[in-house]
Amino acid sequence: MLTDNQPNVRYQRQITLPNDVQEVPQLNVFVDEVCEQADFDMSTTLKLNLAIEEAVVNVMNYAYPAGEKGDVDIEAMINDECLVFVISDSGTPFDPTAKAEVDTTLSAEERGIGGLGIHLIRQIMDTINYERVEGKNVLTLRKKLTKNS
Amino acid sequence: MKTTFKEEDNYFVMYFEGRLDTAASAQVEEEMKPLYECNGHDIILDCANLEYISSSGLRLFLGLLKAAKPKGSHVYIRSINEDLRQVFAMTGFINLFEFK
Repeated sequence: MLTDNQPNVRYQRQITLPNDVQEVPQLNVFVDEVCEQADFDMSTTLKLNLAIEEAVVNVMNYAYPAGEKGDVDIEAMINDECLVFVISDSGTPFDPTAKAEVDTTLSAEERGIGGLGIHLIRQIMDTINYERVEGKNVLTLRKKLTKNS
Repeated sequence: MKTTFKEEDNYFVMYFEGRLDTAASAQVEEEMKPLYECNGHDIILDCANLEYISSSGLRLFLGLLKAAKPKGSHVYIRSINEDLRQVFAMTGFINLFEFK
């Protein structure tokens, strides 16, 4: 599924999880290992965990009809420039990037409870790209490597 | 993820320990219920040992704030670490809560 034609891929890993949020700790272990390979510090690793959790939980909660089992695939790749996560599922077509930006200046009374996940992904990742490919939702998230890594 | 509820000097205090991720949020939501009975008490969410929070956890904090405010109760976030403070900043939650 990784269609990145960037050269010098030096690391690649993949995990498949069922659409059950109780699997999130397993995702955290996966992201921690990938971030270690990318030499990210603990602070960046925490934020990447957050962005990937938000993207994957979104699939777990909404891609498949309630009660129906389905998988979410998470692929990670490190090249010379960045760490790339590709999150894909075979569920209902859904483009999370089309969701309206939340207004973070609103008061508690005015703040809605939704939209936080995609907002955090936008804040943390450098690029976000959604595609519908061969019946799959494919979300590609990139984070540039830090200079000393 | 572990929470502990205590009454301290007229404050309702909840201590959060570990990772408040989506997997933990349903259980924590249940454990936070006593805080909703806060009439006349201010609330402290002690985050000294909170290692991680995702949007599902932030929603629990916001839900509590929305319920406590009309009752005249303040909700304070205490001893949160710098990384998590940044998450609160990214979401604008830093402006919604009072920090100790």
